[in-house]
Amino acid sequence: MIVRRTVALLGLPAVLVAAWWVASAGSTDFYRPPLARILAAFRDTWFGRRLLDDVAPSLARLAVGYTVALCAGIALGVAIGASPRLRALTEPVLEFLRAIPPPVLVPVVILVAGIGDLMKVLVIVSGCLWPVLLNTVEGVRAIDPTLADTARVYHIGGTLRLRRLVLRAASPQIVTGARQALSIGIILMVISEMFAASSGLGFTVVQFQRSFAIPEMWSGVLLLGLLGVLLSLGFRAVEARVLGWYHGLRAVARGSR
Amino acid sequence: MLDVAGLRKVYEGQGHRVEAIADLTFRVGTGEFACLVGPSGCGKTTLLRCLAGLLAPTAGMVRVDGVPVAGPPPELAVVFQEYGRSLFPWLRVRENVELPLRAKGLPKARRQSIVDDALAAVGLADAGRAYPWQLSGGMQQRVAIARAVGYHPRVLLMDEPFAAVDAQTRADLEDLIRDVWRRLSVTLLFVTHDIDEAVYLGQRVIVLSAAPSTVDADLAVDLPDERDQLSTRADPRFTDLRTQVWSRIKRTTALEASP
Repeated sequence: MIVRRTVALLGLPAVLVAAWWVASAGSTDFYRPPLARILAAFRDTWFGRRLLDDVAPSLARLAVGYTVALCAGIALGVAIGASPRLRALTEPVLEFLRAIPPPVLVPVVILVAGIGDLMKVLVIVSGCLWPVLLNTVEGVRAIDPTLADTARVYHIGGTLRLRRLVLRAASPQIVTGARQALSIGIILMVISEMFAASSGLGFTVVQFQRSFAIPEMWSGVLLLGLLGVLLSLGFRAVEARVLGWYHGLRAVARGSR
Repeated sequence: MLDVAGLRKVYEGQGHRVEAIADLTFRVGTGEFACLVGPSGCGKTTLLRCLAGLLAPTAGMVRVDGVPVAGPPPELAVVFQEYGRSLFPWLRVRENVELPLRAKGLPKARRQSIVDDALAAVGLADAGRAYPWQLSGGMQQRVAIARAVGYHPRVLLMDEPFAAVDAQTRADLEDLIRDVWRRLSVTLLFVTHDIDEAVYLGQRVIVLSAAPSTVDADLAVDLPDERDQLSTRADPRFTDLRTQVWSRIKRTTALEASP
């Protein structure tokens, strides 16, 4: 079972890497160096000072921006989802704000927040907020009326209701929003560093490209891909804990049909 | 204990209005076990929601222990028909039973012992660590009953709680409810569409007419207090009572169909 899963997980990547290796082995094209050289550049470039100077700041900004977006999105989403009036009032504005591609906000945010870390964090927040917010609204709206009645009858109110009913009932949708937000966050992390930056992954990749350090540039792309995979694996581990009940319930519902 | 006076409920929709309850007046005394039957669609669930303070009536008044109901009254518990949707699927069985006690602000040790007792009372002492959806329908409804028992209400409302379980489980649950009622000395109003069930369980059967509903009959069930699935149901008096209720309901549905 574990063997089969590992094969399923790593099989295709292994094939692709092997194909890349073989196809690029004798390449003399300046822009498409052999994979062996890229991997060598990967080791030399990233396992040194850059890990602290560029990778860590990028990830820290992503972590701060993502966390702020998650907290604000859930808090606002619960408030809006619980109140039909607030929802009717805010829905058009939310749809409008969500439709703006966040990269377009970078120049605007620079005007307001300068070119420091704050700008980059704000760009990440501005993109990650919407999927979390809108999914939370939907989740809170869809709370089962029988469960809500049960809570009322047993006088389960206040923070107990929030923690044991509202947030848990909405958690499948919140997790969906958080997953979308994470991939948007990684994209925005890179994009925000391509403007007026002096450190970070996006900055470094662009810098390599401009100085024709092609294998190093490719290695940066590889690193970003790997980070994405690691973050999504971490996300899945958290999801398995938070939504264990939901997947169990769904499996039972499928089995009985 | 439970007083219903001139209760009326009309649903106002856009352009149409549905009168679910025309005029209901009855009372259930302290410690009494009353069953409410009526043809399907006669507004039983509407009535129950009004009694539980979940729905405001259009007119009339509900009093629990003399206090007019404006929201869910304290010391009143409800067991809903859809057990699958009234238990919190993200909480284990124990936590489901414990949640109302938390809301009451009871200390942890006290909560634990009440939960133990309540689960034992419904025969689920070993299922505390399971999630509700891992249990059968009948067991889930037992959890909902345990939650109501642990809450220690003075009034217990049950809305067709056994409509979705199989016949054998249903018989077991009926006996369980009689047992719980006697032990808690709670005032119990049991809503059902099953006439046999109503006669078997109650001390009294209130028959509702078709919607817009009124009280059509109010029969005392003069069967012995000790009931048994075999002998009670074979008792000529049982057959007699169920025929009476049957004919009442038949008549109201016939009246409804005739004009």
